[in-house]
Amino acid sequence: MTAADVPVVVAPKRALPGGVSAGLRWVVALGGAAVIFGSFMLAKGANPFEAFSSMFAALRTDTSLKGIATQSAPLIFAALAVAVPAKAGLVNVGGEGQLLLGGIGATAMSLALGGSLPGGVTLVLLCLAGALAGAAWSALAGLLRLKVGINEAVTTLLLNYIALDLMLFLIYDKWKDANGSGQPVTAPLPVPERLPLIGASGLHAGIFIAVVATATAWWALRSTRWGFQLRVVGGNPEAARRAGLKVGLLLISAMAVGGALAGLGGVVQLAGAEFKLRPGFLVSYGYIGFLASWLARHHPVRVATAAVLLAAIAVSGDSLQLDSGLPAATVNVLMALVLLAVFGWTQHKKVATT
Amino acid sequence: MSLASEVLTGAVRGGTSILYAGVGESYAESAGVVNLGTEGSMLVGALAAYAVASETNNPWAGALAGLVAGGALALVHAYFVLHRKANQLANGLVVLFLGLGLTSLFGASYVSKPAKSFTPWRIPGLGSLPGVGDILFNHDPLTYLSFLMVPASWWLLTRSRWGLLLRAAGERTEVLASYGHSVRRIQYMAVVLGGTLAGLGGAQLAIAYANAWFENMVQGRGFVAVAVVIFAARQPFKVAAGSYLFGAALALSPALQARGYGINQFALDAIPYVTIVVVLVALGRRRAAEAPEGLKKVFEVSPST
Repeated sequence: MTAADVPVVVAPKRALPGGVSAGLRWVVALGGAAVIFGSFMLAKGANPFEAFSSMFAALRTDTSLKGIATQSAPLIFAALAVAVPAKAGLVNVGGEGQLLLGGIGATAMSLALGGSLPGGVTLVLLCLAGALAGAAWSALAGLLRLKVGINEAVTTLLLNYIALDLMLFLIYDKWKDANGSGQPVTAPLPVPERLPLIGASGLHAGIFIAVVATATAWWALRSTRWGFQLRVVGGNPEAARRAGLKVGLLLISAMAVGGALAGLGGVVQLAGAEFKLRPGFLVSYGYIGFLASWLARHHPVRVATAAVLLAAIAVSGDSLQLDSGLPAATVNVLMALVLLAVFGWTQHKKVATT
Repeated sequence: MSLASEVLTGAVRGGTSILYAGVGESYAESAGVVNLGTEGSMLVGALAAYAVASETNNPWAGALAGLVAGGALALVHAYFVLHRKANQLANGLVVLFLGLGLTSLFGASYVSKPAKSFTPWRIPGLGSLPGVGDILFNHDPLTYLSFLMVPASWWLLTRSRWGLLLRAAGERTEVLASYGHSVRRIQYMAVVLGGTLAGLGGAQLAIAYANAWFENMVQGRGFVAVAVVIFAARQPFKVAAGSYLFGAALALSPALQARGYGINQFALDAIPYVTIVVVLVALGRRRAAEAPEGLKKVFEVSPST
């Protein structure tokens, strides 16, 4: 680092209480993101004011609220899958593949059992199979990191593409629904193996399972021995090793737990919302979950909140497609700009500019 | 054409886009910056090249546009990483997302629109050599340009004074600073140059290899480039070897299918990615130890026990 690069600690502005100035920074940062996004829409010939107002309007309908809750369920899992390894200093970009492995594991279990057990028991086994499959996929990356020294960010990324090809291989071949009119989808999950709907809300149990998982992750990271040790490894691995912690085991377990959470996300989507695997199953949920975790600096409860926020952006983005005729993936621009705003302008440490 | 010669020709054709991106990433990583946004730079490069080639009927104008677009997106990464101290790996993915969204937004109208693409041009003389003629000397101009770019980049990175400064920026920043150089300026140059090359790689993909634009067409090639750079230890000739290996694995699938082997297409599609992971495993440990100090900070949050 040059002298100029050394971060200069600037005394926080005392005029405003810390909370207010941080809040102001958020408002300015997010406003900037909205302005840039608006100018992109303008360049594309869409009226940004109309687009924004229809995005907000879309959020107020019951269908949208239900949509947000439904999309949030796998997204919260995908985000927690990043947050847990991140506590140990690991970068898990493999949510995309681990979600798919969850769906694949659950489908394999459902096919293997063939309805021989009661629905509830089967559902638990589906969750187990999906979590295990996701955990195995991420632990592989952790193992490569540990034994061969390859960065897990790179391997998890590459494993995403392999997972996708694995799923496509299965749904175009062995698992293709014989009654599916030639479509590359698996046979729908039998009704007793699906997640129950909760009360009159019309929501499947997935979002509630996700909330429970968030609370569990928060508790496990905060109050258990394992969580404490993970945080020590993430903070200073050398010190952790000298203190006699089993750093290797902790790193692998953090990756495995992350993968298991993503795997559960895949099961929840399969058993709660879609009931079958198809080529676009949970596509880009893994990446959005990654962004959610970094948005909230890996604190489980905030991470889950960020996931809901991004799900809301995604759902409101559907109105862009309907009302402004913009492609659905356009909301990715807004998400990326929000993230850049947060990375760039809401950090507490100030960096000297030269 | 024999299977071997078909696969080797495909290796060069399909590997060139990764080669550009990989050599570009070698500049950035030599200066101590990892750019996972390389995938995004390839995407915006591919769309810019295709759109401009379609509008102007000039593939060279398209290639230039791809180069500029790739560099511009890399500039976003450079700014947030170098000026705002964002985490390199996370920010790279955000930049990719930005590229993904922008190309969906602006690319939709080009999806089935024709564009003037580069056509293969057989080099007189060399092109009619048995074997190597088809494999090396019957390609689009951007592929030939990459043949020149590899040795030029090797020289720039390992033999030139500028390359020395670049590597110092990744390795011994304090030395660089004490000689009065701005580390940050050099890192900016390296990242943006890397992005321009990735953009050119995207251009080769869109207007020389696939002759089409479709959403998310890069399909992980940018990530593969980053992986190749790791086991190639940022050396352009080794990056070329790794890129062509991926290209060969890509070419294997259509070559086998054309010969009537009844192998599931998606099982074959996984081969290139599996190959890269296997090579990473085979060469990974040694390479990781050779990484510049600045990169180790990014890649090695914790030591392997």
